[in-house]
Amino acid sequence: MTEPTLTIEAVKEALGDLGTVEQVRGNRIKVTTKIEKVREAILRAESILNCDHVVQISAVDNGKSLELIYHLTGPHRLVLALAIDVPRDKPEVPTTSDLLPPAGIYERQIHDLLGITFRGHPDLKRIILNEDWPEGEYPLRKDWKMDPNKFYGGVHEEAK
Amino acid sequence: MAEVIVPVGPHHPALKEPVNFKVVADGERIVRLELDVSYNHRGIEKAAEARDFVRVVPLLERVCGICSHSHTTVFVKGIEEAMKLQIPPRATYIRTIVAELERIHSHLLWLGVAAHEIGFNTLFMWTWRDREAVQDMLEEMTGNRVNYGTNEVGGVRRDLTPDLIQAALKRLPRLEERVAKYAEMVNREETMLLRFKGVGFLTKEQALKLGAVGPTARASGVDYDIRRDDPYIAYADVPWKVITDTHGDVYGRTLVRVGELQQSLKIVRYCLENLPAGPIRAAPPRAAPKAEVLSRYEAPRGELVHFIRTNNTDKVERLDIRTPTLANWTSVAVSLVNQNLADIPVVVAAIDPCLSCTSRITVVNAKGRKTGEMTWDELSEHGREFYRRGGRR
Repeated sequence: MTEPTLTIEAVKEALGDLGTVEQVRGNRIKVTTKIEKVREAILRAESILNCDHVVQISAVDNGKSLELIYHLTGPHRLVLALAIDVPRDKPEVPTTSDLLPPAGIYERQIHDLLGITFRGHPDLKRIILNEDWPEGEYPLRKDWKMDPNKFYGGVHEEAK
Repeated sequence: MAEVIVPVGPHHPALKEPVNFKVVADGERIVRLELDVSYNHRGIEKAAEARDFVRVVPLLERVCGICSHSHTTVFVKGIEEAMKLQIPPRATYIRTIVAELERIHSHLLWLGVAAHEIGFNTLFMWTWRDREAVQDMLEEMTGNRVNYGTNEVGGVRRDLTPDLIQAALKRLPRLEERVAKYAEMVNREETMLLRFKGVGFLTKEQALKLGAVGPTARASGVDYDIRRDDPYIAYADVPWKVITDTHGDVYGRTLVRVGELQQSLKIVRYCLENLPAGPIRAAPPRAAPKAEVLSRYEAPRGELVHFIRTNNTDKVERLDIRTPTLANWTSVAVSLVNQNLADIPVVVAAIDPCLSCTSRITVVNAKGRKTGEMTWDELSEHGREFYRRGGRR
């Protein structure tokens, strides 16, 4: 197996000024940064740290705010996680779909489930929820509850 | 000729999950592909937040029927990492055996489906017959043909008795012989060469840029395999190698999968012959401490990821699943551009999508004046007929 060549020192040097860098375990490094710096961090991770593959964009609602974690990897086999906090009252993040093409589809999914808007996304339409799902309902938010008066898709009661 | 929108999907009982594509075509040439996977969203991620670690495993097993073991293994190993729980080696070997048998039956299934899409139904019948033997092995070992119910947090639920090991070893030579035959056949069978070569082409740069995973990426020369790059369960102990290819088309993807079939059979044989003695489970604590784990797994279709966050309770706070099919979609959308409409079945099937496709294809022209309907079977038939005529647009 190829030895991981990406060290925490290299990550600190490339991304240290954008946030805090920590080694989570053997082959995982996490960088906690800010919304406005995330594009810069991804650009640098791609060009300096040789991260050419986006593994996943994880989205979490921690009750207080929403979190996005971009997991990137490359030939060094190390997973670099870039974590940002997204405020609940203004869930807007610049898109990264132009930097990482597969992110486009993941961002659409996150937009559906958690209601984070990706500014500059070319086509942020519904992908994972059904087309008759009501607008503005984001089921993976912790405070989401089904509204009995709303129609969430399927067959209308009167049509049965 | 004006561009025509061809909606493909969403329902067909023969394939696994529903999806709808809108194919924009200019005559026979594909201009663009759009995708809608909403038809089968079951809210499993949300449901997982409400179940404890014992009850969530059977739920996750049902994310996918073909790679059911993949979803439970990636989840339980993530939870075990969060709990810092060391599981006994015998359990990791049993997990590996089931995982590789699952890969074998999945790749055999794929080979059959791909053969069927190009009208080579003899191969379809052969691979599916051989797949039965693999499923019989799985049934003997775990009690089930599809949702095996083998995993739990802390280990596996069923031990392999010496009788079972002997019975499984007895079945292997026949499978090895059959797979060797397919490996030989892929190189010289004319139907496959004609329909697979140059179809759905992805360069190495494209595969990297578009984030392709699994056999799709490895067929374009991208040397990624989570089993080696981020080793889990018993892969670090077992001698095997990553299969890559440089063709970059459906032909390359076929070669990679056939090569992987041979490697998987080797892994199964090694694990059965070298199964360590000892217990099959470690008692897990009830709750997992606050932790965040990105658990990666090489499913038959590529890298499967579960992002797990635990919170001092016996339930996950968040489970974020990224399936290999979603990762491969971006590359399919690109590799179909400028291809023939007739190649859709085989290119889409080439990533081995975990979704069901179509019962109905509505053919509408750009101005919406003409509407006709086609079934997936008719589209497949159109593909075969198109190439019988010599592939002229």
